Amino acid sequence: MKFRLVIFAMLLSLAMGLALSAAAKAKTRGGKDTPATASAPANQSEQDNNLRLEGEKRFRSNCGRCHTAPPKFAPRMMGTIVRHMRVRATITDQDMRLILRYMTQ
Amino acid sequence: MCSFKLSGKKASCGWILGLVLLFAGSMQGQNDAIKGDGIKAVPILTGSTAYFTNINGGRFQDAPVVSPLMLLPFGDRWLIEAKGGLSDTFSKNAQGNYAGKVSYGLVYAQADYITKYVTVTGGRFTTPFGIYGERLAPNWIRALQPTPLSAFITSGASLGGMLRGGFPAGTEKVNLNYAAYFSANNTNHIVATDRSTGGRIGFFLPGPRLELGASFQQVLQADRPHSVGVHFVWQPNAFPMSLRSEYVRSSGTKGSAYWIESAYRLSQIPYLKRLELVGRGQQFFAAPNLTAATITKLGPLGKDTNEGDFGLNYYFRSDVRASASYGRQFVLGRNANLWTVGMTYRFVMPMWPTVGVQ
Repeated sequence: MKFRLVIFAMLLSLAMGLALSAAAKAKTRGGKDTPATASAPANQSEQDNNLRLEGEKRFRSNCGRCHTAPPKFAPRMMGTIVRHMRVRATITDQDMRLILRYMTQ
Repeated sequence: MCSFKLSGKKASCGWILGLVLLFAGSMQGQNDAIKGDGIKAVPILTGSTAYFTNINGGRFQDAPVVSPLMLLPFGDRWLIEAKGGLSDTFSKNAQGNYAGKVSYGLVYAQADYITKYVTVTGGRFTTPFGIYGERLAPNWIRALQPTPLSAFITSGASLGGMLRGGFPAGTEKVNLNYAAYFSANNTNHIVATDRSTGGRIGFFLPGPRLELGASFQQVLQADRPHSVGVHFVWQPNAFPMSLRSEYVRSSGTKGSAYWIESAYRLSQIPYLKRLELVGRGQQFFAAPNLTAATITKLGPLGKDTNEGDFGLNYYFRSDVRASASYGRQFVLGRNANLWTVGMTYRFVMPMWPTVGVQ
């Protein structure tokens, strides 16, 4: 029925609209929320610790949805594995960065 | 039973429109996209092997399986993924001799171009419908080895193009993930696909660790059935449990089904922390008014089925697991016990030196 088609089209449009608005918002913020471009804080070790904790949290919430926690591999292997999971599990860019950071420390 | 049919022309227009919009978004996000954090990714050979003995209604069957997956990263944005499957299913024949049947296939072979908001994929890929096919199907991941009947309702593989991605939906409390694809028809028996289109949208709440989503598929050939599905995953923060479920309904001859599965890791008990308990219930409802010939052709999808499974998984390491399960299948005129016991091993090895420049 056309009604279902309309609902599906609306959901898809919503997803696209959110993608565009999020992209625009990220650009205006200048990527402040990404750890790689964050300004250096006074206490570097505290920030590192916070990022590690955040990375662990995101690792558990994203990776644990489907499988048990894998061990840490060599950083260059982790780069490939996390990229693969970015595609397969549609994890966000920021989650991927934090998980990669956590898994390579 | 609803019966709307989407023409190929309309579907193509819709996806082209989506493609344009998503590319516009991805171009805006280019400057912020991942640059690998200075880590140069290396090619990897990974995958899994498994050996399972299945007893289905008193009939023994042994099945060794190997599923290699090759990952080839190029630059900061490209990834080539290719996964194959090889299995030898053997059992005793009428003369009492073991006879095996080797089967092989290409699960997927795809090229991905990754940007912050959109990943563009081309090639043969697993159809983005629900959660089972893409995320839970590998035998080292699935909590119970018997495949739920809902997985056979939709086309599992596609050949064509796909757009997918995930991003915070305006707040870090909600992540939105999506996938939209178009597939061509392919009749080669190793890489057979249907001409179809569809997609999936999901919302993941990292706080309560709850994911909800919906999927759609429109087959654009033969009797042009469409399928809709919903899924959810919940992992409470308070205890080590996973609750997953899927519902799929098809307008064609393949009926509808749902399953709900719970896995509980006994990590709070020192001597049993490597053990996981799993339970799953599922119901399959065959499409009404099927002819006798169609029921025969559909096999397990031709009759209403109720099934309950219970299993144990013991993790020797994160990559080596022993599994056993018992299930009871209720089908009109043929109830059966389903036993499964075996092991899985997931391997990961680099295909390039991992030391050096990072």
